[in-house]
Amino acid sequence: MAGFLQQVVEGLGAGAIYASMALALVLIYQFTGIVNFAQGELAMFSTYIAWQCVAAGLPFWAALALTLVVSFAGGMLVERLIIRPVEGAPELTIVIVTVGLFIFVNAAAGWIWTFLIKDFPNPFPQGALQLGGISVGFSTVGVLGVVALVMVLLYLLFQHTRIGLGMRAVATNPSSARLVGIRVGWTLALGWGLAATVGAVSGVLIAPLLFLEPNMMGGVLIYAFAAATLGGFDSPAGAVVGGVIVGVAETLAGAYVGFIGSDLKIGVPLMIILGVLLLRPQGLFGRAVVERA
Amino acid sequence: MSALIVENLVAGYGDARVLHGVDLNVGQGEICAILGPNGAGKTTLLRALSGMVKARGTVRLGGTSLAGRSPDAVARLGVAHVPEGRGTFMPLTVEENLRLGAFVRRGKKDVDADLARIHTYFPVLKTRLKQAAGSLSGGEQQMLAIGRALMSRPRVLLLDEPSLGLAPLVTRELFRIVQAVNEEERTTVVVVEQNAHLALGIAQQAHVLETGRIVLSGTAAQIRADEQVAQSYLGYRV
Amino acid sequence: MTGRADANPATRDAAPATAAAATGEAGATSVRLFGWDAARWRWVAAAALLAAALYAPFQLIPFHVFQLTMVLVYAVALLGLNLLVGHAGQISLGHGAFFAVGAYAAAILMERWDTPYPLTLPIAAAVAFVLGLVLGVPAMRLRGLYLALVTLAIAIFLVPLLKRFEEVTGGSMGLTLAKPAPPAWSGLAEDQWIYFLVLAVAVAAFLLAGSLLRSRVGRALHAVRDNEIAAEVMGVRLSFYKTLAFAWSAMFAGAAGCVYTWVIGFVSPDSFTVNLSITLLAGLVVGGLGTMAGPVLGALFVMFVPGISQEINDAAPGVIFGLLIIAVMYVAPTGLAGLAGRLIRKIPRKE
Repeated sequence: MAGFLQQVVEGLGAGAIYASMALALVLIYQFTGIVNFAQGELAMFSTYIAWQCVAAGLPFWAALALTLVVSFAGGMLVERLIIRPVEGAPELTIVIVTVGLFIFVNAAAGWIWTFLIKDFPNPFPQGALQLGGISVGFSTVGVLGVVALVMVLLYLLFQHTRIGLGMRAVATNPSSARLVGIRVGWTLALGWGLAATVGAVSGVLIAPLLFLEPNMMGGVLIYAFAAATLGGFDSPAGAVVGGVIVGVAETLAGAYVGFIGSDLKIGVPLMIILGVLLLRPQGLFGRAVVERA
Repeated sequence: MSALIVENLVAGYGDARVLHGVDLNVGQGEICAILGPNGAGKTTLLRALSGMVKARGTVRLGGTSLAGRSPDAVARLGVAHVPEGRGTFMPLTVEENLRLGAFVRRGKKDVDADLARIHTYFPVLKTRLKQAAGSLSGGEQQMLAIGRALMSRPRVLLLDEPSLGLAPLVTRELFRIVQAVNEEERTTVVVVEQNAHLALGIAQQAHVLETGRIVLSGTAAQIRADEQVAQSYLGYRV
Repeated sequence: MTGRADANPATRDAAPATAAAATGEAGATSVRLFGWDAARWRWVAAAALLAAALYAPFQLIPFHVFQLTMVLVYAVALLGLNLLVGHAGQISLGHGAFFAVGAYAAAILMERWDTPYPLTLPIAAAVAFVLGLVLGVPAMRLRGLYLALVTLAIAIFLVPLLKRFEEVTGGSMGLTLAKPAPPAWSGLAEDQWIYFLVLAVAVAAFLLAGSLLRSRVGRALHAVRDNEIAAEVMGVRLSFYKTLAFAWSAMFAGAAGCVYTWVIGFVSPDSFTVNLSITLLAGLVVGGLGTMAGPVLGALFVMFVPGISQEINDAAPGVIFGLLIIAVMYVAPTGLAGLAGRLIRKIPRKE
């Protein structure tokens, strides 16, 4: 039993990271109806920026703060420069543009920092809390804490600020939002900036567990897709719940289903995506799928 | 003193031109009714005024030109457009919808005071503040839409077919409220309406639009008195 | 109700020209040059290309023959991808997986059962086709977006899966196979023989795809791409045709994978990472979605641009691909082929 709970705790840690990545995807989807295939790569790029700051001698948390600011600005810039010209274009066009962005950002990181793997500093201390036979690593506690903080901040932003209200208005009815005087274009850019920031958090959190290299987010992106599909692409709360479920399911499957082991764990999100699409396409918390014409 | 001056307004979608040179002159505090059959361009006229469709020609709000401005800029200058379909933010609460109306305004106290003022016009909304706007009935949503528009303290209020899809009793109530708002706040109103009888009942001036041109203008009383107009354009007998 | 009539045109101008707009065949009848219309010119161009293709291996050094062979392999794969993306408007980010399935099917058949290589082609194509059907059924019931997700996940999942079933696939080490040997009567060198084999497959694939697209089915696919709702109203069974398009495109990719195995004589999981899938899509977009020349131009691009640009930096191909894809979607949604078509159409008409 303790062993099982131990696995669940590990799963929660992974799930929290998937949740924040899924949240980034859902944020953009809500505003623009776009699934940003480059989200993981933007997060990877942000992580490199953090690494560069640390390498330049900045203390970790200062590097993180700077990274988040840069990521926010970068996300806004991407929306303005890359996405804006195809706004309102068919889904196929937009998906291809985000795939192009994926390839470009991935290669750009390789160009700047090479494809050699780098060690990323772990901001949390070594060691673990002992809770009744289960050991919870400080690192897991830290990840959960940071992700929870991000969620709370986003909740406060959306529910209790004027800008957040404006953003929700744009997400639900952009043309009507325009008529009440909201600058919709800037709000969309703001959404991309926020998503890039949230993504950067997940990149920085996962980099110490993986190695920092340009392809590090490929797998994470798939888990985040599974989380967002499971929770419902139009539900931020769903993304969080979905992320946690995917993380725990993946860890348990890796530990207890002998056939899956550690190498085939990446099949778990694929199964989750296919299963959700067949059984409940709108996800657990999503509204029934409405075709965007 | 004119609140809204429109001269030779031409607008359309892509290659399809819908308005072929429309002139309007709406006095401060007046209600102006735009009547006409389906497809005449009434909705397009309002959209052109609020910047939702590209238009050529002159649109002036007081001394400010609105031509070529985006809808959000026009809204910030004091034009509140209640669009066809009401533009409700469905999943948001009634209160959030109303507060969005005041999005461009600063000063929380003023906004709170206006919220209270809206409640006096539309008491039914007050009981539903925390409810999702999408759960309201059609009539309540129309009230919410007008309330949202009023929250911006508009200089000009554009109403697109407020009666659409509503029961006659509800429609009458709605027009009574619009008239009350107009009288108490001196808000200039341009209302597009199929139900000519109701619109002429509250308007000072009226225009009949047909295939993108104004074919008849006059005071509401004149338009109502013109039997030929009544039959050919307004679709009812006096 | 006024607005109902007003509203429709508004949505029309919101959708800029995309892959859906020009198929390269557009305006085909309007251009005449020396009394021949565009359709005839296309046949002339195809014949000239074929003649050059037949002549080339006798003039080039083996390495260049090999490169040309690979261009043909990629062209077949891109032809399949084009059916799905360019003609049916559905997106796949995992076509490398079907390519890999075809490659491994051929390799395993040859390795374990000593299957003669010509037999591996129909079997590999059939395996990919069936797999496409099986995966297409759930994915195609939903919007194109989810297809992109599912196919990307499949492409990522495939590599560890191949490594896992070591007894069959050779694991990370892969499988090494004998390349098809030229029969004595031909008098050809090995690279030339393989080149002609692949050329035959490629020509057959192009003829097959061309006749598919000219059939009722091709029109149904275009209807699906251009307006799903209208297509459904007209009685096109959406999910049926989308699934079929997916299966076909998987089949072409599988066939390409099979001949890849002939050409390289070696398969390993790391040859078929998600990068292959993304490179294929990139090549197709640059070459030209929904055009017949697109897969060929895209294949040239996939084959030569990385090699050339890698001399600048390992990451240069990605930077170039990424930027080009975005640029193509902005300015020329039908890619190089569409651009060429546009230039040809600018030639003044002669009566």
